Amino acid sequence: MPRGPRPPIIRFDHASFGFPGVTALEDITLSIEAGEFIGVIGPNGSGKTTLCRAVLGLLAPIKGQLHIFDCACQELRCHHRAKIGYLPQKGVVDRDFPVTVFETVMMGRYGALGLFHRPGPEDRRIALESLALVAMERHKDTALGHLSGGQQQRVFIARALAQQPKVLLLDEPTTGLDLPMQHNVIELIQHLHETLGLTVLLITHDINMIRSRVDRLVLLKTRLHAAGPPADVLKPNILEQVYGKGMVISDKDLVIVEDYHHSH
Amino acid sequence: MLELFAYDFMQRSLLAAAMVGGLCSLIGVFVVLRGLAFVGAGTSHAAFAGVTLGYLIGWPPLLLAVAFGVATVWITGWLEEQGRMKLDVSIGILYTATMALAIVFIGLMKTYNAEVYGYLFGSVLSVTGEELLLIGGLAALVLGLLIAFWKELLFIAFDQEMAEASGVPARRIFFLLLTLVALTVVVALKTVGAILVFAMILIPASTAYQLTHSLTALTLYSVIIGTATALTGVVVSTVWDIPSGPSIVLLATAVFFFSLVISPKRLRISSGHPR
Repeated sequence: MPRGPRPPIIRFDHASFGFPGVTALEDITLSIEAGEFIGVIGPNGSGKTTLCRAVLGLLAPIKGQLHIFDCACQELRCHHRAKIGYLPQKGVVDRDFPVTVFETVMMGRYGALGLFHRPGPEDRRIALESLALVAMERHKDTALGHLSGGQQQRVFIARALAQQPKVLLLDEPTTGLDLPMQHNVIELIQHLHETLGLTVLLITHDINMIRSRVDRLVLLKTRLHAAGPPADVLKPNILEQVYGKGMVISDKDLVIVEDYHHSH
Repeated sequence: MLELFAYDFMQRSLLAAAMVGGLCSLIGVFVVLRGLAFVGAGTSHAAFAGVTLGYLIGWPPLLLAVAFGVATVWITGWLEEQGRMKLDVSIGILYTATMALAIVFIGLMKTYNAEVYGYLFGSVLSVTGEELLLIGGLAALVLGLLIAFWKELLFIAFDQEMAEASGVPARRIFFLLLTLVALTVVVALKTVGAILVFAMILIPASTAYQLTHSLTALTLYSVIIGTATALTGVVVSTVWDIPSGPSIVLLATAVFFFSLVISPKRLRISSGHPR
């Protein structure tokens, strides 16, 4: 169904990010509309995680501007941040942390609640609903560390959903999962995008897994090399600039980038 | 033995031990989960430098202990935040530097001062009524702040960056946690001494960590273990006439090793339970 123009929810305007002497992302100009499903791809060290930290308001541009919800990212307040549900890379979080599934999801309410406010029945209802959305409600009293990798990812997605976000930001959510579980997680994300109308930014190495699901792909290697529908971005000449000739396999209209993540 | 409990000094000691044991084991939950073990050890030595300076210049020793302890954790936290150096490196430097300061201050004292050594090795049996009030006041302050910011402290212990990204003022909460650790160290300084104080923070929570996957249970077990070993340690030290600080810490250590043996986590790993 054709969609009308929607307002941009995230807007990079010639924005560069980095640290003194190191530019991780340079001169990025990109608008992301509300309700879009965006895949962010690029090799290791291309600036994907930097982009993620910038959108979270954790990194201000050293040049140019980044606006999120019409607010300059360096002025993002806590209530803005609470509108971005974030799933960090697997392994960043201590999986043996003594916490149950329900307690983990409840953390998603803390930012929106603010200081000195205790979670109430409404917060518990939202947390349970979020668990139901990822089909994990029957595990609510289970210790987080007792779950499989795929189940833990579902719990972290539920934690992000408990924020009642407008944007869902997922940093390599399928890394470390077996193939069926990878499909399972990506299908869940697509389902949430469609049913809740969430703007989704999915950072991944697995181009082939998401190419048929996203509205647009954003290809990074320090600079923005391409942004557009998958068919426009996944062209051998564009991909070879970023990944190198040996990594891109082309067979008629099907272009595959070899599994960069696993070959390094 | 029961007549021991009729003495004023024994009642004061037990009350101090219970407060210190309970408080240390409560903050210890966040110290263990956030990985701040070495920070606490460094803070206790910095606080001791404050005590020695207090005795040297005639200022209230516990006031300067608070100033030294808080300054040390804030400098450490700031250096980590700026990305200048890792937390364990900066605390390692400040830990030895403040201990060197303490030795210099002791060297500058004209006479031997037994009270200074009481803060180094602990002397819960000599806690006075005024000190008990001070310990009680500081303990109430730390406890109140812990309860007020419980959910934020839990979130930053789980993942500070995720907490910040979710709209929790994680940076300020982290500095609050460092401050509470420093205050707790000062509260416990007189009871077990600068050398052993951090064991009271670390060991009960580490013991409880072996026994459960629930945060609520971990907190409860930690406080029970911390309070019980502190009280038992005081009684043992009085009956057997051995120093109180070491007897509390050695008891807590024995319970820790016992918990390793009976830990359901260990049993799960050795039985090949799927993760």
